[in-house]
Amino acid sequence: MATAPKEINQPAPEVLLRVENVTKIYDGTVKAVDDVSLTVNKGEIFALLGGSGCGKSTLLRMMAGFEMPTKGKIFLAGQDITNLPPYQRPINMMFQSYALFPHLSVWENIAFGLKRDGMPKDQIAERVEKMLNLAQLGKFAQRKPHQLSGGQQQRVALVRSLAKRPQLLLLDEPLGALDKKLRETTQLELVNIIEEVGVTCVLVTHDQEEAMTMASRIAVMSEGYFLQVGAPDAVYEMPNSRKVADFIGNVNLFDGVIEEDEADHVTVRCPECVHYVGHGVSGHTGMAVGVALRPEKIMLSDKKPKGEYNWCEGEVIEIVYFGAHTTYHLKLDSGKVIKAQELNNTRDLSCGLTWGDRAYAHWNDLAMVVLAQ
Amino acid sequence: MATKQGFFTRLLDGKHAVIGIPYLWFILLAAVPILIILKISLSEMQGTSVSNMIDWSNGWPKLTLNFSSYQFIFSDSLYLKTYLSSIKYALLTTLICLVIGYPFAYFMARSPKHMQPTLLMLIMLPFWTSFLLRIYAWKTLLENNGIINNVLMSLGVIDAPLQMMNTPFSLMIGMVYSYLPFMILPLYANLSKLDMRYLEAAADLGTSPFKAFWLITVPLSKAGIIAGSMLVFIPTIGEYVIPELLGGSSTLMIGRVLWNEFFSNNDWPMASAVAVVMILLILVPMAIYNKSQAEAEMK
Amino acid sequence: MSQATNNKIFSNLWMIAVYLFLYLPIFTLVVYSFNDSKLISTWTHASLRWYEALIKDDDLISAVLLSLKIAGISALMSVFFGTFTAFALNRYKRFKGRTLLSSMSSMPLVMPDVIVGLSLLLMIISVQHWLGFPEKGLFTILLGHALLGTAYAAVVVTSRLREMDSKLDEAAMDLGCKPWQVFYLVTLPLLLPALISAFLLTFTLSFDDVVLSSFLSGPGYSTMPMVIFSRARLGLNPTINAVATVTIVVVTFAVIASSFYTSHQARKRKREEAQAYSDSNK
Repeated sequence: MATAPKEINQPAPEVLLRVENVTKIYDGTVKAVDDVSLTVNKGEIFALLGGSGCGKSTLLRMMAGFEMPTKGKIFLAGQDITNLPPYQRPINMMFQSYALFPHLSVWENIAFGLKRDGMPKDQIAERVEKMLNLAQLGKFAQRKPHQLSGGQQQRVALVRSLAKRPQLLLLDEPLGALDKKLRETTQLELVNIIEEVGVTCVLVTHDQEEAMTMASRIAVMSEGYFLQVGAPDAVYEMPNSRKVADFIGNVNLFDGVIEEDEADHVTVRCPECVHYVGHGVSGHTGMAVGVALRPEKIMLSDKKPKGEYNWCEGEVIEIVYFGAHTTYHLKLDSGKVIKAQELNNTRDLSCGLTWGDRAYAHWNDLAMVVLAQ
Repeated sequence: MATKQGFFTRLLDGKHAVIGIPYLWFILLAAVPILIILKISLSEMQGTSVSNMIDWSNGWPKLTLNFSSYQFIFSDSLYLKTYLSSIKYALLTTLICLVIGYPFAYFMARSPKHMQPTLLMLIMLPFWTSFLLRIYAWKTLLENNGIINNVLMSLGVIDAPLQMMNTPFSLMIGMVYSYLPFMILPLYANLSKLDMRYLEAAADLGTSPFKAFWLITVPLSKAGIIAGSMLVFIPTIGEYVIPELLGGSSTLMIGRVLWNEFFSNNDWPMASAVAVVMILLILVPMAIYNKSQAEAEMK
Repeated sequence: MSQATNNKIFSNLWMIAVYLFLYLPIFTLVVYSFNDSKLISTWTHASLRWYEALIKDDDLISAVLLSLKIAGISALMSVFFGTFTAFALNRYKRFKGRTLLSSMSSMPLVMPDVIVGLSLLLMIISVQHWLGFPEKGLFTILLGHALLGTAYAAVVVTSRLREMDSKLDEAAMDLGCKPWQVFYLVTLPLLLPALISAFLLTFTLSFDDVVLSSFLSGPGYSTMPMVIFSRARLGLNPTINAVATVTIVVVTFAVIASSFYTSHQARKRKREEAQAYSDSNK
């Protein structure tokens, strides 16, 4: 609906992975993946994002070779790998909860895949050394996995999957097993290592923050198919459907009808307010649409804003303090509740609103996204 | 490509060999033998010779179903009595094991965490030492000139030896003794996983400890009670060694009848028929056990 | 407070009573093996007389050797087939006849020994009529013990397989292992402790079995339990006490040593995990 995100003109990127109309049906009835097509370019970090049961893991497992597609084909660097068993694919995977071999030392875990390839001993030693340095685990080489902390185990798992220099690296919920505090630092380490090696990645996650910070492109998945594929900011700021808007971050949704449809602006009349959108959309007058507005783009005040557009009035029914910001729940006269997020940029609690106060919410004319019904 | 894929998928799972080997093994040694006793139970002993029983070299048409062994079992009151008394002893053993074992498992689960592995090992230890030798040990204790009688007489508690051997008492001692660990282990496994917070919550809501035990602990350990009871009940029904060594001729147990039909009377059809009826008896508690196990697995 | 103390006393007494009940026969067996009297139950004075008798008892010695041999071989067979059974039932959740396999494999666990023995014997005799073999003897006893052992080994291996992360197999395959390499490089080493305990368990079961052996053995093949059983049927025999004491001592040492070893390993592991955790927080 909205205009496309700006694209920088670059030479056409080299396609590494191509998934063509892949469908996976379990037990003849359950469609886990439904006619999905996708390309991943060389050097890209591509994220499959979705809730549990959306088909993202099945898709990843088909790339790894643990599942065979019911229909469709998968190509890697132009070669059809659809029916290759996992041990013949130049693809490696970092497993959720790591799947480190508990009976082998860190060194042996990393060397495991190299030995299977019949690499000469001295080369194996050299490669493992390199990997240990990459993960900053040199002094832990002889430890067993259970003697490592969660973050260290995670790094071993990563370099184990990188040791064979795969063309494609698959990451299954790479940070899922870590506690919140550890996640941020580990995430940075992970991206640094991946970028240093320059490997192409496909990662699966249910955590939108993880997807947004790590990936160069995101596919939002639901019920076995892609809802939207795009750069993180595009998916966040320009969701193409209510589902995506709702899944990625918080959103206030207004139902309305296009009243005015001009090249440089449109207005949408909703029961609560009239939205003035500062750019054209591909719709027509009288069309029923939804307007998505993120809470952080709403400003609150106790004074009535000027003008007739882009504001509404309600009663503060809930204040949730998060430290860095505060979320206000505003009950509009229509009964609808919207959320507004205010930054706590001073130490006295910002706009001085409290429970039961009347307040005005307003936003600027580029804050919202118009979505088809 | 199609053949290659077939080849690879087969390599990938190795499924055929992995399933085929145990399948063949159990078909041959578990399923076929049961079918054979079923078949023999429906034939007849001809003369005293054993070999003419096996008449299938003559082909199928020669085989006529003969229910005489079953008729005999259900008309002769001795067999019925023996089945009933086997069930009676098995039930009694189960009950006594439960009464002794439940509190024991409960106390064990409540004992200090660092003690529990040792306590558990002490329950398992006799299980690893020969069952036969332990039954024999009871014989040395319970005989008329056995250790208990000797000790009691030398202490002057009794004048004449108590008749303990070859009575239902000695049989029950042996059975309870041998099968008590089978009751304790599943109960302990169940009770040690029981969340103490339920009891704290009950106490918090004003339930007395005694009531809490009956209203919370017992219902929650139902799976353990069923598992333990079935693990005791099923094998005791067909027990042979204990009644043979400790029970004497007065205690009727079906396992001994089967043994005698086969080894003393050489009556294979009769032994088989006794076995088939025993299997039917066991099916019901087995179904209960499997159901409770399946339910426990679901959780 | 006094209520709690009373409860404590009661529970301790109950537990002590049960342990006494379990260990009293074993204890008397051992003590009276050192009794000089021929009458087993009257204590005269300590002697090693019955141990001397045991050493000279060729029947019993050869029975013990036969039992050890049967137990060793049948335990190996049990672990082999039991591992396959466990794999078939746990790694392939859906195949035709899975229920049949699982009920067949649990059958020897629940069927009374007399039925298993009788049915196996009648089957073997049928086969003999057809093919002329096998003769009743070592091989048929092995079949019986291995059948029983397979069922137990399958249970032990299954419980280990269930707690094993199936992702490890996938990780191995992902790193280039062919399926048979996955098995011997990853699955087998991780399964090893379970295989050892399955071996010990089925060894013990076989070493202890009297009913199956009685059905399946032929002339000249009397196992140790068969000899003991036939003597015990006739009455008390102090040599049995001596044999019992020897087996009890061996088994007790083995069990205590292995349980110390496992608990030591578990404690070590816990310590190392705690160490790794505190290291990472520095």
